[in-house]
Amino acid sequence: MSVINRGVRNAFRNTIRTFSLVIILGLVVGLALTMLVARRAVTAKIDSVKSAIGNTITVSPAGARGFGGGGNPLTADNVNAIKTTPHVASVTASINDRLDTIGANTPSFGGDSNSTGTTNLVSPITPGSLGRRFGGRGNNSNSANFTLPITVTGSSDPNSTQVAGSNQLKITAGVSIDGSSNQHVAMVGKDLATKNNLNVGSTFSAYGQTITVAAIYDAGNTFANGGVIMPLAAVQNLSGQVGDVTNVIVQVDSISNISSTVTDLQNKLGTTADVVSQQDTSNQALAPLENIKSLSLYSLIGAVGAGAAIILLTMMMIVRERRREIGVLKAIGASNLKVVLQFVSEATTLTLLGAVVGLIIGFVGGNPVTKLLVSSSANAAQTTGMNGPGGGGGGGRLLRLAGQGLGGLRNVNAVVGWDILLFGLGAAIVIAIIGSAIPALVIAKVRPAEVMRAE
Amino acid sequence: MLKVSGISKQFSSGHNKVSAVSDVSFQVPEGQFASIIGKSGSGKSTLLCLLGALDKPTAGHIEVDGQDITNLGDHALIAYRCRKIGFVFQSYNLVPNLNALENVMLPMEFAGLRRTKRKARAQNLLDQVGLSGDKQRRKPGRLSGGEQQRVAIARALANQPKLILADEPTGNLDSQTGKMIFDLLHKLARSENTTIIAVTHDLEVAGKTDLTFRLDDGKLTSGIKYR
Repeated sequence: MSVINRGVRNAFRNTIRTFSLVIILGLVVGLALTMLVARRAVTAKIDSVKSAIGNTITVSPAGARGFGGGGNPLTADNVNAIKTTPHVASVTASINDRLDTIGANTPSFGGDSNSTGTTNLVSPITPGSLGRRFGGRGNNSNSANFTLPITVTGSSDPNSTQVAGSNQLKITAGVSIDGSSNQHVAMVGKDLATKNNLNVGSTFSAYGQTITVAAIYDAGNTFANGGVIMPLAAVQNLSGQVGDVTNVIVQVDSISNISSTVTDLQNKLGTTADVVSQQDTSNQALAPLENIKSLSLYSLIGAVGAGAAIILLTMMMIVRERRREIGVLKAIGASNLKVVLQFVSEATTLTLLGAVVGLIIGFVGGNPVTKLLVSSSANAAQTTGMNGPGGGGGGGRLLRLAGQGLGGLRNVNAVVGWDILLFGLGAAIVIAIIGSAIPALVIAKVRPAEVMRAE
Repeated sequence: MLKVSGISKQFSSGHNKVSAVSDVSFQVPEGQFASIIGKSGSGKSTLLCLLGALDKPTAGHIEVDGQDITNLGDHALIAYRCRKIGFVFQSYNLVPNLNALENVMLPMEFAGLRRTKRKARAQNLLDQVGLSGDKQRRKPGRLSGGEQQRVAIARALANQPKLILADEPTGNLDSQTGKMIFDLLHKLARSENTTIIAVTHDLEVAGKTDLTFRLDDGKLTSGIKYR
């Protein structure tokens, strides 16, 4: 019989104690695994929500949103300042303008006339009651030839989905244009192309110039498919807004750097620009999940620590009980190492038995406990959000951002995989080693002579 | 041959030093059965500890089979205890969850003997001490005191030691069983050519040994008696 076998057998010398210890260790390991499962599920959810939000920052002229509000456009210097900000990976600068249809009544969405040019194109979007309501003063929105203006976007990156304000930008015909050029070329939305019988190579007039259709795109929504995208410099020159920019989309190198980059941009641009990221909103909404993540980590550490303490105290008790036996083993020729190995083997056996019970508990309880934690935490956050100052926030906003419903935030699925099971076994071994370390020192100090004196 | 030359052992007790064994010298020829008698606290067990390398003397030398064990390092002492010494305790000190056979195999495992060999030798030894058949598979709790002491004697003989140290080997047994155990030890000492030193209170037992030493307050006070 080897030292290891003897240790394993010794684990069953006192069956009542072994049973009790295994149950307690099982609960501890089960708690640790459940917390690990919860933490991983919540972390995955947080990452998925954050990745859905993306690592972009929007910079727009202070006080302006689209064609609403006021203020002055951003300048080329502002764009350069943005580009040189730390953690900024790329910058897409855009300018938005509207083209009135020649011979038609078009609405004004702000000033008396905020369109700087005209076109022979007709908008494919039916004005409807919203278009007529937003028609503004000085326009005959009830006239028979009332049409909406054509939105033209000049962009340094015409292929960016964010330029089209959409989740997709698919070129259905032709080739994409170069955003850094000054050519009079355009990509037109598929609805606008259909309405005006445009194909690749067709021309239309804008700002009194002839523009060639280089591509037709499908952005997946009616508004974007009724617009025109051109190179940034071309629109700036044609509209007489050289160097002006109305929107800058900043890609940050990592989601974790968004907050610091927003602060840097705000410091650099001062009151000239509004710097907006969706991370603040997401952070607020994700706070309950972050709390669960922290709670589960502390619980995990606490459970492993408690397991180590339990096995340590138990092994100390066992070593004290068997002090004489240790002395006998040494007297008949056992080395310290062999005696220590025997007790480590015993502790490991007890802990592994506990781990098996713990794995079952973790396997069965991981998902329900995670859901319970998320559900109760989300409820608490919702209540706080509705009653607290500035309420109505967190969850709802985040879920819109992530394209999910309230159920989406709560829909955290915990999965117990092989890695979790391996962690359970690994934790058990760590617990056994830590729990055996001090008893091993005590064993090493037991002198066989003391046993003889006790005879 | 066991040769003890002027060994002493002192313990600290508070600010005082207590001399448990003081300048003891004697020799025991190979294969002899010697007894040490004395009152409680006279230093008998301490002397046995020193002879068994369970403790180190404050002064003096102990030679076993020509080797001075007082100069050995820790690892060498473990090997010495494993291969050259066998212990028999008053309360047997068998490992309770191992059966008789496994208890006897234990010292051979520590000595690195292969399992098949140690099992065969353990069975042979148990047969020699009169424990055969089903009893070899019994755990100590299911054996009588005499039977447990027989297992302890077989365990002490496992690695064919040069010296067996017995601390009150008959102390927990009735007189008849004690006599049987004593006779067994005596017989084995001769058949295995092993030197045996037994600490005892029993003067009748001591009277039957080849040599007897008397300890008083840690000192050897009476001469050696040869039978």
